[in-house]
Amino acid sequence: MAWQYSEKTKQLFMDAVHGKPGTHLGEIENPDGVGEHGSISCGDAMRFTFRVERHPTDPRLDKITEAKYLTFGCTSAIASSEALCAMIEERGCSPIEALEVTNEDIVDFLEGLPTQKIHCSVMGAEALEAAVFNWAQLRGVPTEELGIAPTMHEEDEGRLVCKCFNITEPYLQRKIKELNLKTIPEVTNAVKAGGACMACHHAPGGLQDMLDEAWGKRDGSAAGDDIPLLGQRPSAPRGEGELSPYQFAKQVEHVMETEVRPMLKRDGGDVEIVDIKDRLIYCQLAGACHGCAGASMTLKLMIEKTLKEQVDDRIRVVAI
Amino acid sequence: MTPRTIYVDNNATTAVAPEVVEAMQPFFKGEYFNPSSMYERARGTNDALEQARRTVARSIGASDPGQILFTSCATESNNTAILGAIRANPGRRHIITSSVEHPSVHEIAKDLERQGFEITYVPVDNQGRIDVRSFIRSLRADTLLVSIMHANNETGVIFPIEQLSRLTKETDPSILFHTDATQSVGKLEIQLDGRFKHVDLLSFSGHKVHAPKGVGALFIRKGARIRPFMLGGHQENGRRGGTENVPYIVGLARACELAADNLEAEVTTVQRLRDRLEKELQVLIPHVQVNGDGAARLPNTLNISIHYIEGEGMLYQLDAHGICASSGSACTSGSLEPSHVLRAMNVPFTAVHGSVRFSFSRYNTEADVDKILEVFPGIVENLRKLSPYWDVKAASPRPDAPKA
Repeated sequence: MAWQYSEKTKQLFMDAVHGKPGTHLGEIENPDGVGEHGSISCGDAMRFTFRVERHPTDPRLDKITEAKYLTFGCTSAIASSEALCAMIEERGCSPIEALEVTNEDIVDFLEGLPTQKIHCSVMGAEALEAAVFNWAQLRGVPTEELGIAPTMHEEDEGRLVCKCFNITEPYLQRKIKELNLKTIPEVTNAVKAGGACMACHHAPGGLQDMLDEAWGKRDGSAAGDDIPLLGQRPSAPRGEGELSPYQFAKQVEHVMETEVRPMLKRDGGDVEIVDIKDRLIYCQLAGACHGCAGASMTLKLMIEKTLKEQVDDRIRVVAI
Repeated sequence: MTPRTIYVDNNATTAVAPEVVEAMQPFFKGEYFNPSSMYERARGTNDALEQARRTVARSIGASDPGQILFTSCATESNNTAILGAIRANPGRRHIITSSVEHPSVHEIAKDLERQGFEITYVPVDNQGRIDVRSFIRSLRADTLLVSIMHANNETGVIFPIEQLSRLTKETDPSILFHTDATQSVGKLEIQLDGRFKHVDLLSFSGHKVHAPKGVGALFIRKGARIRPFMLGGHQENGRRGGTENVPYIVGLARACELAADNLEAEVTTVQRLRDRLEKELQVLIPHVQVNGDGAARLPNTLNISIHYIEGEGMLYQLDAHGICASSGSACTSGSLEPSHVLRAMNVPFTAVHGSVRFSFSRYNTEADVDKILEVFPGIVENLRKLSPYWDVKAASPRPDAPKA
């Protein structure tokens, strides 16, 4: 799958990595707003900062004059960050007005994004929201006037739905409505939930249940093919020896400790039992005998002979 | 203005050798006959097919050419081996594989799990080495098949197939042992009558050894119980229906011959290029790690992780310089998860997204390595400048960056 990016996306990425004048890479010192979204373990993360020209009387009329970002992520994550900063500076608007920039605006600015990369644009919009929230707190603007969910830490609170990407129920509930997500693939492309192990797709309280809750249950979505068919487990075959597996293992160990190991140790060698399956004894030979094929074979036969004589003549020794 | 192509993605596919193209030509032009046809003219085509079978068998150290089945690719070989083994041995339900297989084995295992088979995924350590003790513990009385790759496509780490197949057969000779040798054929010596005498089934493909895409092979040891996967004809001794792809099979045989002739060059010339790139990148770029460098590895593969940046942006910039490489990052995998191989190795989360794989072939040169060394440190620097976790001035992670 070769690159499916628009020319605009590619251009913005290349301009950014080469630090072309007019690009927005970096971090503003003592910013008027800072917001972060994502984490390194999830594969993308962004820190977004902006500076405002303060309005002398009404902070709500502050104007954003500069925006910068640092982004860990792929080509489209970096291009989305660049797009966000460019759009906001261009508008010369207030932080509250900047909230009108949505992830769809970012996608449009980039002249389209592959569907599985939509989450890159969502990351930009989320970081912007967080930064505006931070600005409001610093400038004493009542946060309810922003018209965004007041619990900016909802990502840390609430039941975890997608454990792979640490995505919670309240966050998903909000995003399903905000971004009008109707199917599991749409959810995954937008916010990554369900993009890894997929265990949350049809689990009780999982993505499908949340979608049904948000939009009503659809017909014919019986997930029959997801229910694993239970195979018949074989009954474990058992040796018919007189000894129980426990007694057998004890006896083998006893012979190894009292007879075999002392013999090997005299020549600087050693042996360790790695596993016992039925009458098969798996041994790791160590020390002087380790790595010498001839010696191993002799030793294997010697150990086998001793165990056959003392414990059970069906024993076979497997040298690892 | 377009830069020269520097192809260092040979674990993905390889350039077709000119000798191979030449060997195939007659079978597109005059010798187009169906090898199963009765007339005299088809005899030459059939002879070429059987000659190719002997050549391929010899190249992997198998004396009996009747043990070679030609397929369309390694994925078909893997499907044939695994599903064929299951159908021939309906009394058993347990399969052992590793946690780092290629999708053409891994996905089959997951699908069989959904059908009710029990699968054990043997883990690897942080160098990508298989845990032999876990492997032994996983062998059971109802184990039907072991399918473990010879060398890993992402890291090049080599598994001890000789030991694992011997342990399997010493435990229970009726357990079938399959290995996907797609990455090792042509790079490592394979002796199915010798060191690999306990291997029942071995898969590989043509396009990793400078033959074209669309042809592969499966070694099936005489006596191994497997049922055909493709039904619909008597071809290949009734083991695979479908008219044999004669030109491609002839190409595969020629490629195997060339690989055998060049086997020594793999561990001298090719490995020298890899080793030089590996050593110098570690000097030029701070905070990198070579994945699997503590294990035995293929001579051609370098999988290197650059901490605190993401792989796709590196590939994209390499591409702009004409350099073709690949990455295990989530953004290049087609899913949202980074490589299952690197995760199975517990590569730290600060590095798992920043992996780049360079894989060489005998067609690479020192000039290719020069070019990569010239541009790659700058590419890394460009992205680290953008990374919220990296301090450019100190050339180290920021104090508040998450630690691996």
